[in-house]
Amino acid sequence: MSDVLLPVAIAVPLVSATFPIALGLKYDDAGWPVAAVATTVLAGLAAAIGVEVARNGPLSHALGTYEPPIGIELVADELSVAVLALVAVVSLATLAFARVAGPRGNSFYSGYLLLVGGLTGLVLTGDLFNMFVFLEIVGISTYALIAADRSGASAYASLKYLVVGTVGASLYLLGVGYAFLATGTLNMLDMQVQIVEQASYADPLIRASYALIVAGLGLKIAVFPIHAWQPDAYQRAPDAVTTIVAALVSTASAYALIRVSYTVFTVDFLAANDAITTVMLIVAGASILAGSALAAMQSDLKRMFAYSSVAQFGMIVAAIALANETALLGGIVHLIGHGLLKFGLFLGVGLLALGYGGRELDDLASAARSAPYTAGAIAVLGLGLVGIPPSVGFLGKWYIGVGAVESSMGAGDPAGIGIAVVIFVSTLFTLSYVARVIERFYFAGVGLSDGHGEEAHGDEHDADDHGGSGSDHGVAADGGRESATGDDDGPLTPVEGAPRSRLVPDRVPSVPLAVLIVAALATIALGFGGYALFEWFDPFLTEVFA
Amino acid sequence: MNPILTSVPPYVLLAFAALAVLALPRRSGHAVAALATAFTFAQAVLLGDGGTGAHLATGFLGFDVVFFNVDQFSLLMGVVVGFLATAAVLYAYGTEAPKWVTSLALIYVSSTVGTIYAGDWLTLIFFWELMAVTSTLLVWQYGGAAVRAGYRYALFHGIGGTFLLGAVVVHGASMLGSVPAAEIFLFSSTTGIHASATLLAAIGIGVNCGFIFLHTWLPDTYPRPHVAASVFLSVFTTKTAVYVMYRAFPDGGLWLAYLGGFMAVYGAFFALLQYDPRRLLSYHIQAQVGYMLAGLGLATAVGDFAVTGGFAHLFNNVLYKSLLFMTVGVVVYRTGVEDIRDMGGLWRVMPVTFLLYLVGAASITAVPGFNGFISKGMVIDSAHEIHNYVLLLDSGLLWWLLILGGVGTFMSFIKLGYYMFFHGSATLSPKDATPFQTAGMVLAGGACVFFGVFYYQLIELMPFTEFILSEDVYFKPYSTSHLTESAWLMGAGFVGFFALKRPLGWLAHHMRDVDAVTYPAAFYLARGSVWGVTELWAAVDRAVMTAIAAVEWTAMNPREALGRAGVDVEIRTGIGRSVLFLTLAAGIALFVFILA
Repeated sequence: MSDVLLPVAIAVPLVSATFPIALGLKYDDAGWPVAAVATTVLAGLAAAIGVEVARNGPLSHALGTYEPPIGIELVADELSVAVLALVAVVSLATLAFARVAGPRGNSFYSGYLLLVGGLTGLVLTGDLFNMFVFLEIVGISTYALIAADRSGASAYASLKYLVVGTVGASLYLLGVGYAFLATGTLNMLDMQVQIVEQASYADPLIRASYALIVAGLGLKIAVFPIHAWQPDAYQRAPDAVTTIVAALVSTASAYALIRVSYTVFTVDFLAANDAITTVMLIVAGASILAGSALAAMQSDLKRMFAYSSVAQFGMIVAAIALANETALLGGIVHLIGHGLLKFGLFLGVGLLALGYGGRELDDLASAARSAPYTAGAIAVLGLGLVGIPPSVGFLGKWYIGVGAVESSMGAGDPAGIGIAVVIFVSTLFTLSYVARVIERFYFAGVGLSDGHGEEAHGDEHDADDHGGSGSDHGVAADGGRESATGDDDGPLTPVEGAPRSRLVPDRVPSVPLAVLIVAALATIALGFGGYALFEWFDPFLTEVFA
Repeated sequence: MNPILTSVPPYVLLAFAALAVLALPRRSGHAVAALATAFTFAQAVLLGDGGTGAHLATGFLGFDVVFFNVDQFSLLMGVVVGFLATAAVLYAYGTEAPKWVTSLALIYVSSTVGTIYAGDWLTLIFFWELMAVTSTLLVWQYGGAAVRAGYRYALFHGIGGTFLLGAVVVHGASMLGSVPAAEIFLFSSTTGIHASATLLAAIGIGVNCGFIFLHTWLPDTYPRPHVAASVFLSVFTTKTAVYVMYRAFPDGGLWLAYLGGFMAVYGAFFALLQYDPRRLLSYHIQAQVGYMLAGLGLATAVGDFAVTGGFAHLFNNVLYKSLLFMTVGVVVYRTGVEDIRDMGGLWRVMPVTFLLYLVGAASITAVPGFNGFISKGMVIDSAHEIHNYVLLLDSGLLWWLLILGGVGTFMSFIKLGYYMFFHGSATLSPKDATPFQTAGMVLAGGACVFFGVFYYQLIELMPFTEFILSEDVYFKPYSTSHLTESAWLMGAGFVGFFALKRPLGWLAHHMRDVDAVTYPAAFYLARGSVWGVTELWAAVDRAVMTAIAAVEWTAMNPREALGRAGVDVEIRTGIGRSVLFLTLAAGIALFVFILA
């Protein structure tokens, strides 16, 4: 009976999505409470599903009493539970930030819940066409959310994503159609059997189907060179939207690629089609390198981390194409870990923007002095992104790298070593841009003292108002004096009306700050849980590599 | 008796005595010092031929080492160093040498004795480097101009020590395989240093010997410190170097003999040009070392007679050279003048000093009846048997070099004596030497006369005694031919000095030693290289930083960079191009996946 949890988990956010609009007729700000309740319930359901899977193995549910393979099946196994948990946690946690950062309005929360529902469905579905539906729900709600702050730049970014995203989804649908032609079924598990029985791994129809699905999902994942929508979308979207989109949307698409590759087409298909994996590895390698290099070139923090995602998802695609157990484990761990890392990083950047009004690296010089906790959490997450142990970022990269080397050792294939080298080079690039962030946060403007008083008194009073304005600094500081000391190296000034906290010096809202710190600590805690993660994903890996 | 004596390494006693000098009052401290040096002398005499052997042999880092190696050669060194050090301590006491001078001098003597009694190359190099350090400290102690000179001294000996260390390492590596690994550094494992280390060893030891062009530290350093310190310095470093040269090259070599011959001429010639008395004597150290090396170098070509001549000259030189430094020291101590042109007529007021100077000068110039006559005669006799480049009188180049050096020596000591004790009227009227100075000088001077008259005693102390005294060897120092030769030398010296006095005076103002070139060259080379390295590094730094800045700017402004390169395009991917890329990607994927 517990399989009912699956449709309920999808239904709760989708149905709740209508409430803000309906209640909006009477209440102005009904959206946030509704979203909070819905995501909290979702988190509870995800936990329940997780417990159930852990206890009794994978769950499945046939929707509307139509038995699969004709009817639509919902499935939860270890992989989907892990991604579901990430979706539930991130969507709940982002709400804490969205409440202070906006965008406001009931329609935004409808879109938000629609996105969460789509992601939940995408993760839980066991049907290829149903997956397309949820992919479209996710896509359309994302287009809407990106443009939610109604600025021109975000509208353009949204439009760009809309156009290419629609083409991408259509490619996926085309691929599913080819597979349906070849096998006559849409249920994933059934198709896995039918591909062997009715067609073969060498069947052009099956190959074409996989090609189109990979191209479609590759766009949604945003691998080089079809990533162009992603940096614009991440940079232009409102901060709260970026936080959830960057953490979940590409992650869910990558999950879909893993699911389709390993549950539908299976590892045998990949093994039988060397050219396919080779092309995927080349694209993945290019993606890792180009993403890292482009990220290192950016001065806008959101754009920098957006390009960084291109590189990280390149690694995940590489892990999929390597088709060995270690690499796939690394890919999945990195999928979850990267989602968490990017959630934290974009949340941190958003908080700094909220408190100090800057998203450019140069605007945030010596941020660590004004906002030590926010900057510290960003630094910890950034180092995790580089892959410094003990962070979950290290675990994922490590397993992918080891898997790459293993595949080279076993088969004498140079591609694996190539991927390992590429990952190493990209780590250096990552280090270069993360180090730049840390340098700006911690070491820029070292020559300045916090209080200007002592510095002014040390001078030889050649400027007549020097000593005077130095002593009553608290009152007159934000006048001409600030600009006189040079706004480049000066300490960060909070925006007007930035919240104060009794506990921390950071002028940022405290609840999202707490969430950020918890996220940063969680990435480290997960890093220590390498063996637990291996244990958790072992049944799934054993099944697909059986 | 012997087991007790051979269990006490004298340098340990000397080191303790050096500490005692500092700790005790001046008088008792110097007494302890004199006792320690006298013990070194007595021990060597008492051990004699019966005490030879490798004592205090032990292991260090897996290598066999010998801390107290007694044989004919180390014994004769022990005798003369112990004897002279005793005299020098007395002299130092009489010269009001500060405690620190005597203490440092004693620790310097200690490291010298350690070098002498080393039975393997590891122990030897250890004491050798220690000797360089302690002698530098002894120079530095005086302060003033001695500091910079001491610094140059330290540079020379640091470099020389490094060369010798390299030689020891090469020697050890080359010995591997031919003897058990533990014994590669022992003297007893081999004859001399391994052939592969010849050049390194020759240069390393050559710095201390004062090879031509490696000698400039000698006249630079020795005139500067306390007069008592000069006495110690003048005899130990260079003579130990000659001894080590024999350890390294017991078979000699004509290169060494000829080098010695040229050193004799070079040193004597430059000595002639000096007016600082201690500087003049320092050049004579180089000249006298030349005679010793000539003797040692003929070990194969002539035989053991030449080696004995070399060592006898070494032995005698320790005595008379320190005596000369002592007498000159007394004059400097009493008058405070360091230019012999400002002295004169002193023989009336300083008769004792004058007499002892005469003894020293007669010894170094090889006047019959003094010890230098015996040993220099042996070396010159040996050189006479070499006929490589025959010049006049049926004699070879080497012989002529040594004779020429002898004439130069005569001339310069006539000059030194003439200026100090006669020349002009006495403008200074200092007191004569103090009692303890006299005691030290009489000890050294007495030995000079003693070994000149009773020269069989000298031969007794030397190695190869029986061979020298046997019928096979013509050894008659006071034969007519020797006396004639000496008379000719003396006559040539007198005539030469008074005939060439004016030209030499002119030359003294115009002829500089090689240090006029080498010191500035080394200084500017070092400064240039420091500047070069610094500037090179700065240039590399600038280039790297510029390159990084350029890369960073290009990365930050890619479109502008393209524009500067003449390509003006939009590089951001718009909607249309995105769709194009996607379509292309899908097309390529289809193409590859289906046709693969």
